[in-house]
Amino acid sequence: MRCDVPNTAMGDIAFNLLIFFVILARAQDDSHLHWNPAQAEKLESSGNSVVSVLVDSENKLYLNGSEIGISQLADRIEELLGNMPAGKRIVLLKVHQDILAQRFEPILEAISEAGGDLVHILEENKTSTPK
Amino acid sequence: MLQKLKRSNRLLVEPPAAASGDIAFNLIVFFLVCASIQPDRGFKQTIPRSETQNEQKQDEPQNIEIQLTRTAVLINGTNVPIAEFVGRLRSQLSGKTRPEDRVVIVKSQKDTPYKHWIDVTTRIEEAGGIVTLQMEEERTVTLPQ
Repeated sequence: MRCDVPNTAMGDIAFNLLIFFVILARAQDDSHLHWNPAQAEKLESSGNSVVSVLVDSENKLYLNGSEIGISQLADRIEELLGNMPAGKRIVLLKVHQDILAQRFEPILEAISEAGGDLVHILEENKTSTPK
Repeated sequence: MLQKLKRSNRLLVEPPAAASGDIAFNLIVFFLVCASIQPDRGFKQTIPRSETQNEQKQDEPQNIEIQLTRTAVLINGTNVPIAEFVGRLRSQLSGKTRPEDRVVIVKSQKDTPYKHWIDVTTRIEEAGGIVTLQMEEERTVTLPQ
Protein backbone atom coordinates (compact mmCIF):
# COMPACT_ATOMS: atom_id res chain seq x y z
CA MET A 1 0.00 0.00 0.00
CA ARG A 2 1.42 3.36 -1.03
CA CYS A 3 0.84 6.44 1.08
CA ASP A 4 1.47 9.89 -0.51
CA VAL A 5 2.06 13.18 1.28
CA PRO A 6 -1.08 15.26 0.65
CA ASN A 7 -0.49 18.14 -1.78
CA THR A 8 -2.31 20.57 0.49
CA ALA A 9 0.45 20.20 3.12
CA MET A 10 3.19 21.39 0.73
CA GLY A 11 2.47 25.05 1.46
CA ASP A 12 2.75 24.50 5.21
CA ILE A 13 5.97 22.52 4.83
CA ALA A 14 7.56 25.20 2.62
CA PHE A 15 6.51 27.95 5.03
CA ASN A 16 7.98 26.15 8.05
CA LEU A 17 11.25 25.48 6.19
CA LEU A 18 11.46 29.15 5.22
CA ILE A 19 11.02 30.28 8.83
CA PHE A 20 13.55 27.69 10.03
CA PHE A 21 16.22 29.05 7.66
CA VAL A 22 15.38 32.68 8.48
CA ILE A 23 16.04 31.93 12.16
CA LEU A 24 19.26 30.04 11.36
CA ALA A 25 20.52 32.94 9.24
CA ARG A 26 20.57 35.17 12.30
CA ALA A 27 24.10 34.07 13.16
CA GLN A 28 24.88 36.79 15.71
CA ASP A 29 21.89 36.03 17.85
CA ASP A 30 22.33 37.05 21.49
CA SER A 31 18.69 36.88 22.52
CA HIS A 32 19.44 34.14 25.05
CA LEU A 33 21.57 36.52 27.16
CA HIS A 34 20.10 38.37 30.11
CA TRP A 35 20.50 42.17 30.27
CA ASN A 36 18.33 45.19 31.04
CA PRO A 37 18.94 48.19 28.78
CA ALA A 38 19.42 51.69 30.15
CA GLN A 39 16.77 54.25 29.21
CA ALA A 40 17.02 57.35 27.05
CA GLU A 41 14.88 59.60 24.90
CA LYS A 42 14.78 60.29 21.16
CA LEU A 43 16.20 56.98 20.03
CA GLU A 44 16.66 56.11 16.40
CA SER A 45 16.75 52.85 14.49
CA SER A 46 20.16 51.25 14.79
CA GLY A 47 20.27 49.86 11.25
CA ASN A 48 21.89 46.60 10.18
CA SER A 49 25.10 45.52 11.78
CA VAL A 50 27.40 42.51 11.67
CA VAL A 51 28.88 43.23 15.10
CA SER A 52 27.06 43.13 18.40
CA VAL A 53 28.88 43.55 21.73
CA LEU A 54 26.98 42.69 24.89
CA VAL A 55 27.73 42.87 28.62
CA ASP A 56 25.15 40.84 30.53
CA SER A 57 23.87 41.20 34.08
CA GLU A 58 26.67 38.90 35.30
CA ASN A 59 29.33 41.27 33.93
CA LYS A 60 30.34 38.84 31.15
CA LEU A 61 31.39 40.18 27.75
CA TYR A 62 30.05 38.66 24.52
CA LEU A 63 30.80 39.32 20.86
CA ASN A 64 27.99 38.16 18.55
CA GLY A 65 26.69 35.85 21.28
CA SER A 66 30.03 34.17 22.13
CA GLU A 67 31.96 35.00 25.28
CA ILE A 68 35.20 36.90 24.70
CA GLY A 69 37.94 38.62 26.74
CA ILE A 70 38.47 42.38 26.64
CA SER A 71 42.05 41.96 25.35
CA GLN A 72 40.82 40.26 22.15
CA LEU A 73 37.84 42.53 21.53
CA ALA A 74 39.39 45.30 19.38
CA ASP A 75 41.14 42.84 17.05
CA ARG A 76 38.04 40.65 16.61
CA ILE A 77 35.83 43.67 15.85
CA GLU A 78 38.36 44.96 13.32
CA GLU A 79 38.42 41.52 11.69
CA LEU A 80 34.61 41.38 11.47
CA LEU A 81 34.31 44.91 10.09
CA GLY A 82 37.03 44.26 7.50
CA ASN A 83 37.11 46.92 4.78
CA MET A 84 33.58 48.20 5.31
CA PRO A 85 33.24 51.88 4.44
CA ALA A 86 32.65 54.52 7.13
CA GLY A 87 28.97 54.78 8.01
CA LYS A 88 28.47 51.03 7.58
CA ARG A 89 30.90 50.02 10.33
CA ILE A 90 28.09 49.92 12.88
CA VAL A 91 28.81 48.20 16.19
CA LEU A 92 25.82 47.61 18.46
CA LEU A 93 26.65 47.95 22.14
CA LYS A 94 24.24 46.39 24.63
CA VAL A 95 25.25 46.96 28.23
CA HIS A 96 23.26 45.97 31.29
CA GLN A 97 22.16 49.20 33.01
CA ASP A 98 24.01 48.55 36.30
CA ILE A 99 27.43 47.69 34.83
CA LEU A 100 30.17 49.97 36.15
CA ALA A 101 32.52 52.30 34.23
CA GLN A 102 35.56 50.19 35.00
CA ARG A 103 33.95 47.47 32.85
CA PHE A 104 32.27 49.38 29.99
CA GLU A 105 34.85 52.14 29.35
CA PRO A 106 37.56 49.77 28.05
CA ILE A 107 34.88 48.31 25.71
CA LEU A 108 34.12 51.79 24.32
CA GLU A 109 37.85 52.28 23.83
CA ALA A 110 38.16 48.93 22.01
CA ILE A 111 35.27 49.79 19.64
CA SER A 112 36.80 53.20 18.96
CA GLU A 113 40.22 51.60 18.36
CA ALA A 114 38.68 49.15 15.84
CA GLY A 115 37.13 52.08 13.95
CA GLY A 116 33.54 51.07 14.68
CA ASP A 117 30.55 53.41 14.56
CA LEU A 118 29.16 53.01 18.05
CA VAL A 119 25.41 52.63 18.65
CA HIS A 120 24.24 52.18 22.24
CA ILE A 121 21.14 49.96 22.28
CA LEU A 122 18.72 51.49 24.77
CA GLU A 123 15.10 51.50 25.77
CA GLU A 124 12.83 54.45 24.99
CA ASN A 125 12.11 56.48 28.12
CA LYS A 126 8.65 58.00 28.03
CA THR A 127 8.59 59.42 31.57
CA SER A 128 11.77 61.46 31.72
CA THR A 129 13.14 63.97 34.23
CA PRO A 130 13.07 67.63 33.09
CA LYS A 131 16.12 68.80 31.16
CA MET B 1 -35.57 25.79 -8.70
CA LEU B 2 -35.02 22.81 -6.48
CA GLN B 3 -32.19 21.63 -8.69
CA LYS B 4 -30.41 25.03 -8.44
CA LEU B 5 -30.46 25.01 -4.66
CA LYS B 6 -28.92 21.57 -4.54
CA ARG B 7 -26.03 22.66 -6.77
CA SER B 8 -25.12 25.70 -4.64
CA ASN B 9 -25.07 23.57 -1.48
CA ARG B 10 -22.55 21.28 -3.06
CA LEU B 11 -20.15 24.22 -3.74
CA LEU B 12 -19.93 25.17 -0.06
CA VAL B 13 -16.74 23.46 1.05
CA GLU B 14 -15.74 23.95 4.65
CA PRO B 15 -12.02 23.80 5.51
CA PRO B 16 -11.23 20.60 7.38
CA ALA B 17 -11.25 21.10 11.15
CA ALA B 18 -7.99 19.14 11.42
CA ALA B 19 -6.15 21.98 9.62
CA SER B 20 -7.00 24.64 12.23
CA GLY B 21 -4.17 23.42 14.48
CA ASP B 22 -1.67 23.80 11.62
CA ILE B 23 -2.98 27.26 10.76
CA ALA B 24 -2.77 28.42 14.38
CA PHE B 25 0.78 27.04 14.71
CA ASN B 26 1.93 28.78 11.54
CA LEU B 27 0.39 32.08 12.64
CA ILE B 28 2.15 31.87 16.04
CA VAL B 29 5.52 31.12 14.41
CA PHE B 30 5.04 33.93 11.88
CA PHE B 31 4.31 36.57 14.52
CA LEU B 32 7.11 35.31 16.81
CA VAL B 33 9.65 35.67 14.00
CA CYS B 34 8.29 39.11 13.06
CA ALA B 35 8.65 40.26 16.68
CA SER B 36 12.18 38.91 17.08
CA ILE B 37 13.60 40.48 13.91
CA GLN B 38 12.44 43.99 14.79
CA PRO B 39 15.52 46.25 14.51
CA ASP B 40 16.86 47.57 17.82
CA ARG B 41 16.61 51.24 18.66
CA GLY B 42 19.53 53.15 20.04
CA PHE B 43 21.69 56.21 20.33
CA LYS B 44 24.62 56.83 17.97
CA GLN B 45 27.73 58.21 19.56
CA THR B 46 30.99 59.22 17.98
CA ILE B 47 33.91 58.75 20.29
CA PRO B 48 37.27 59.86 18.87
CA ARG B 49 39.96 57.21 18.45
CA SER B 50 41.93 56.82 21.65
CA GLU B 51 45.34 58.35 21.92
CA THR B 52 47.80 58.82 24.76
CA GLN B 53 48.22 62.40 25.84
CA ASN B 54 51.24 63.25 27.90
CA GLU B 55 50.98 66.99 28.10
CA GLN B 56 48.50 69.58 26.92
CA LYS B 57 49.72 71.82 24.15
CA GLN B 58 49.83 75.56 24.86
CA ASP B 59 47.52 76.56 21.99
CA GLU B 60 44.84 73.94 22.75
CA PRO B 61 41.55 75.40 23.99
CA GLN B 62 40.51 74.81 27.57
CA ASN B 63 37.67 72.26 27.36
CA ILE B 64 34.80 71.75 29.75
CA GLU B 65 35.38 68.83 32.09
CA ILE B 66 32.53 66.68 33.38
CA GLN B 67 33.18 64.38 36.29
CA LEU B 68 30.83 61.51 37.01
CA THR B 69 30.47 59.80 40.34
CA ARG B 70 28.06 57.00 41.24
CA THR B 71 25.10 59.40 41.55
CA ALA B 72 26.35 62.95 40.96
CA VAL B 73 27.65 65.06 38.09
CA LEU B 74 30.19 67.90 38.30
CA ILE B 75 30.89 70.56 35.67
CA ASN B 76 34.48 71.82 36.06
CA GLY B 77 34.43 70.61 39.66
CA THR B 78 31.05 72.12 40.63
CA ASN B 79 28.23 69.78 41.59
CA VAL B 80 25.19 70.40 39.36
CA PRO B 81 21.68 68.97 39.87
CA ILE B 82 20.79 66.74 36.91
CA ALA B 83 17.69 68.82 36.10
CA GLU B 84 19.83 71.95 35.58
CA PHE B 85 22.64 70.18 33.75
CA VAL B 86 21.65 70.88 30.12
CA GLY B 87 20.96 74.57 30.79
CA ARG B 88 24.27 75.12 32.59
CA LEU B 89 26.29 73.28 29.94
CA ARG B 90 24.50 75.07 27.10
CA SER B 91 25.35 78.46 28.61
CA GLN B 92 29.02 77.43 28.95
CA LEU B 93 29.11 76.26 25.33
CA SER B 94 27.36 79.35 23.96
CA GLY B 95 29.56 81.35 21.61
CA LYS B 96 31.79 78.36 20.88
CA THR B 97 31.36 77.54 17.22
CA ARG B 98 34.44 75.47 16.37
CA PRO B 99 34.02 71.70 17.01
CA GLU B 100 37.32 71.58 18.95
CA ASP B 101 35.94 74.18 21.37
CA ARG B 102 32.77 72.15 21.94
CA VAL B 103 34.68 69.07 23.14
CA VAL B 104 33.49 68.01 26.58
CA ILE B 105 35.85 65.75 28.49
CA VAL B 106 34.03 63.06 30.48
CA LYS B 107 35.87 61.50 33.41
CA SER B 108 34.01 58.73 35.22
CA GLN B 109 34.78 57.20 38.56
CA LYS B 110 35.15 53.44 38.44
CA ASP B 111 31.82 52.86 40.18
CA THR B 112 29.71 54.97 37.79
CA PRO B 113 26.83 52.82 36.51
CA TYR B 114 26.10 52.67 32.78
CA LYS B 115 22.56 54.10 33.15
CA HIS B 116 23.95 57.24 34.83
CA TRP B 117 26.71 57.56 32.22
CA ILE B 118 24.21 57.26 29.35
CA ASP B 119 21.88 59.78 30.97
CA VAL B 120 24.67 62.36 31.26
CA THR B 121 26.30 61.77 27.85
CA THR B 122 22.93 62.04 26.04
CA ARG B 123 22.37 65.36 27.84
CA ILE B 124 25.87 66.58 26.82
CA GLU B 125 25.04 65.90 23.16
CA GLU B 126 21.67 67.59 23.59
CA ALA B 127 23.45 70.69 24.90
CA GLY B 128 25.65 70.68 21.79
CA GLY B 129 28.81 69.20 23.29
CA ILE B 130 31.09 66.56 21.74
CA VAL B 131 31.75 63.72 24.16
CA THR B 132 35.36 62.68 24.65
CA LEU B 133 36.39 60.09 27.21
CA GLN B 134 39.31 60.47 29.51
CA MET B 135 40.35 57.27 31.19
CA GLU B 136 42.93 56.57 33.79
CA GLU B 137 45.88 54.78 32.28
CA GLU B 138 46.85 51.55 34.02
CA ARG B 139 50.56 51.08 34.47
CA THR B 140 52.44 48.05 35.69
CA VAL B 141 55.38 48.94 37.89
CA THR B 142 57.94 46.29 38.72
CA LEU B 143 59.63 46.96 42.02
CA PRO B 144 63.30 46.06 42.38
CA GLN B 145 63.81 43.04 44.65
